[in-house]
Amino acid sequence: MSAYLNTRVSLFSGRLWQNGDFDALIGSPDADIADTLSDRGLPQLAAGYNNQDPLSLEQRIIAEILDETRVLIRPLTGDARNFLIYWTERFEISNVKTLLRGKMTGEKPAALLARLTPMGAFSRLDVQDLVHAEDVTELLRRLEAGPYAGIVRQARRAFEDSHDPFILDAALDRGYYEGLARRAQPLENAVGAAFRRLMGSLIDCINLVWLLRYRFNYNLPPAQVYFLLVASHYGLSSSRLRQLAALGSLDEILIALPDGLRREMNGVTEIHEVFARMDRMAADVAGKVLHSGAGAIARAFAFLILRERDLRSVRAVLRGRHLGLPMGDIKQALQRMPEGAL
Amino acid sequence: MFRAEPLLKIRLLMLATEAPDAALELARFGLFNPAEHAHSGYDQAFDESPAEAYREAWLQAESRLSKVVEQCGGLGELVIPADAAAPSLADLLELNDWLKEVWTTCLGEHEAEMRTQDDQRHLEALEETLEKLERLNVDIAQLLRQDGLLAVNIGSLPVISLKRVTDALSITGFLVSTFDQHNEQVYAVIAGPREREAEVRGVLSQAGWRELPVPLELRTHPQAARAWLIEERKRVEERAGVQCKVMDNLRGQYRPRMDEARLRVALARPLAEAALVGVRGKGGLAGVAGWIPRRRVDALRALLEERFHGRYLLDVAVPEAHEAAKVPSLVRYPGWLQPFVPLVKSYGVPRYGEFDPTLPFAFTYLLLFGAMFGDIGHGAVILVLAAALYRRLGRMAWIGIAAGAVSMLFGLFYGSIFGYEDVIEPVWMSPLHNPIHVLTVAVSFGVGFIILTLLVNVRNKFTAGHVSEALFDSTGIAGLVFYLGAVGSVVSLANASESAAKLANPAAVLAVLGIVTVAIFKWVETRAGWGERALVTAIETLETGINLFANTLSFMRVAAFSLNHVALALAVFTLANGLSTAGHWFTIALGNVVIIVLEGGIVAIQALRLMYYEGFSRFFSGDGREFVPLRLELERNKV
Repeated sequence: MSAYLNTRVSLFSGRLWQNGDFDALIGSPDADIADTLSDRGLPQLAAGYNNQDPLSLEQRIIAEILDETRVLIRPLTGDARNFLIYWTERFEISNVKTLLRGKMTGEKPAALLARLTPMGAFSRLDVQDLVHAEDVTELLRRLEAGPYAGIVRQARRAFEDSHDPFILDAALDRGYYEGLARRAQPLENAVGAAFRRLMGSLIDCINLVWLLRYRFNYNLPPAQVYFLLVASHYGLSSSRLRQLAALGSLDEILIALPDGLRREMNGVTEIHEVFARMDRMAADVAGKVLHSGAGAIARAFAFLILRERDLRSVRAVLRGRHLGLPMGDIKQALQRMPEGAL
Repeated sequence: MFRAEPLLKIRLLMLATEAPDAALELARFGLFNPAEHAHSGYDQAFDESPAEAYREAWLQAESRLSKVVEQCGGLGELVIPADAAAPSLADLLELNDWLKEVWTTCLGEHEAEMRTQDDQRHLEALEETLEKLERLNVDIAQLLRQDGLLAVNIGSLPVISLKRVTDALSITGFLVSTFDQHNEQVYAVIAGPREREAEVRGVLSQAGWRELPVPLELRTHPQAARAWLIEERKRVEERAGVQCKVMDNLRGQYRPRMDEARLRVALARPLAEAALVGVRGKGGLAGVAGWIPRRRVDALRALLEERFHGRYLLDVAVPEAHEAAKVPSLVRYPGWLQPFVPLVKSYGVPRYGEFDPTLPFAFTYLLLFGAMFGDIGHGAVILVLAAALYRRLGRMAWIGIAAGAVSMLFGLFYGSIFGYEDVIEPVWMSPLHNPIHVLTVAVSFGVGFIILTLLVNVRNKFTAGHVSEALFDSTGIAGLVFYLGAVGSVVSLANASESAAKLANPAAVLAVLGIVTVAIFKWVETRAGWGERALVTAIETLETGINLFANTLSFMRVAAFSLNHVALALAVFTLANGLSTAGHWFTIALGNVVIIVLEGGIVAIQALRLMYYEGFSRFFSGDGREFVPLRLELERNKV
């Protein structure tokens, strides 16, 4: 089965975009965009582009990712299969957040339904039932009786105390990524360093970005910032994160980073630059794992990380074009795409 | 019975205000399958969706109603009067508002009940915790002083958060000390510098921290806490009692209107369901489209006339060729054939106009089962068991009864009863003594079966307008010609007679003619470069030959299983004969049970497999649409 998956990943890796492809997309005349997308293996996005519907574009991107994930999951069993299925569930967690926000603002069920990402075969939530919950409290109770009970339970307790949507989102995100790290553990032991490097780059990126946002954009106290991060045993370990959270400025945090990471952040003065550098680092790690002789599941995961990054960039280009932004601005935006923006 | 009923597409135009009643009448009619509107003619001008708001309101009302019923329960059977009218949008919105009020009240009470239960659990835990608090050798009153330098919190949090909270609080100089655990909650004292107390609040809130309400009495006189706890428990129980009464009152208060609400929601369902496919309109007009059987058009007209007295327009049209894939299949089966329908549907729904294989499936399946599992005794056991389990299995029990009967019939042909081959004379032959004959019959049956499936496929292709495929494809006339030629060649080679030898050359010519036609067709049909085209043609032509050959040989399993049946019985007898009288009969009985369960199960699956893969896959696309009529949900309760 791993031979099949390796072959499938190698074939899929041909779909990844090179810098030149983005330049071509940015520079293409409007009439050629749909063809360019089709030629690059994104016929669903080509159709979405003609519709001029940014929401539909988002859903089409996720549908593309889910389609490819489904193909990669086919030969997998056990921990590897569970891990990749869980990897797709972040889109459903995103649906949960949409539902919660919709209920907070009293959005109509039909409008709310239209905003949810169709999960197809990966769907675990009965969204038809959930959109008809009367309010956030009822929705949370219903979610707590469903497949995301573990993640939602803690979020509900936190929300009942504070009634702060930010707290709810943060608790859901943290719950999700802690689940991901837990599911990755047996694979790190079985597959080895390559998988661990991938997870490390992903979780480190998320933790550092969240730490900076919570600390300096939302001005949360250090203890709360640390509590909201994902428990980690990677480059930025939990004890290191505790030290970082207690520091008072971006410069102090960057100086206190481990050597390798500190070198990468050389010259960074803004939080969004940290996003971009971490994103690029994670992509480099994924690229190396994809083109190495690592285990099939590690290569498959690396491909999915890179593919999603590509599609995020394609989305940025298409949105930029819709908004009539200058080519230079779109190119600049491509270098600053934060991880986990989907 | 062999094909779906001829359907007609109807477009019913009416006043938008009468759309709920029109949909209700169509649901009562029972044979209207809603469909999307065409994108041409006056349908194009109908660019509004007048029933969207109705559907939205109905979905909300239905959701609220089912939640209220689930919460309050106790509602009786719903009776829908034959002359009841559907609610208007305004009625539905009013009903929806009322249901919202009911559900909000119920939800509030339900939340209060849950909080009370939570409090009861909390008090139980507190009682146990109290003992431990008393043993904490500290002056609690001093500890909990609001004006001290030390900020102290006593409470509980989920055990999974403990480590994270401890680590997080260490940043602010707070310490966490646990002193008890109940299920997933751990009880702890959290203490730290008062000037940083505000910093820890966010963490505690996020971690699901629950403060223990340490009563004033406990702070000054710890022993008095027990009395406080008893008082508190009494208070909570009283509250629970009050809540029960409130819920009972609510049920009593809302009950009469709840029945009416259920009725109105049921009556509104047809238009809401039809709106899912698409009710289109313009101004004060609304239109629904869908399929009905040709034989019922006049009945529908009469029904509409009686109800709307000319305030409608019914447009009826024969489905056009390009719509064929969208037309649902409505097949009427006689009662005795109904049990086999789910087995066919589990493979797929026949397309409109396609041959419906249920009848040949039923006969062939039973025939194959009987031939592979022919035994009077075993068949009788299956028959009796299926009859005994009729209540549990429902209509499916008839398959067991019929399979048992056919098995008994073949048992009679084979002269086999509970594996004994020498009790009765075979009416036809014993498989064990005539294995070659049995194999020949099985393969011959397979040849006949495959020819039949090819003919059916040719008919299906012609009906669907795919004439070239019907004539030249591997499962069309060309494939059939090849197969007949190939079978003729093999038969003439295997038969030494002079007449058979004469058949050899014409058969071979027929086979070559057929396969060459198939190859040319594949070549023409493949849209690719020369190399790929040649490769596809070569592989698909080769596959045609291999498939037909393999499918034919697949029927050898029918003979193999009939032999296997005897062989298993022989094995049981051999074992039994080596034992004493009691052991002998015990082994015979146990062996027969094993044969019935194990072999019976395998044969049932093998017969199904033969039908699906050697039969259906050749002619049955199975991607048709089932005819799903608009219905009142609980129509059986109509009076």
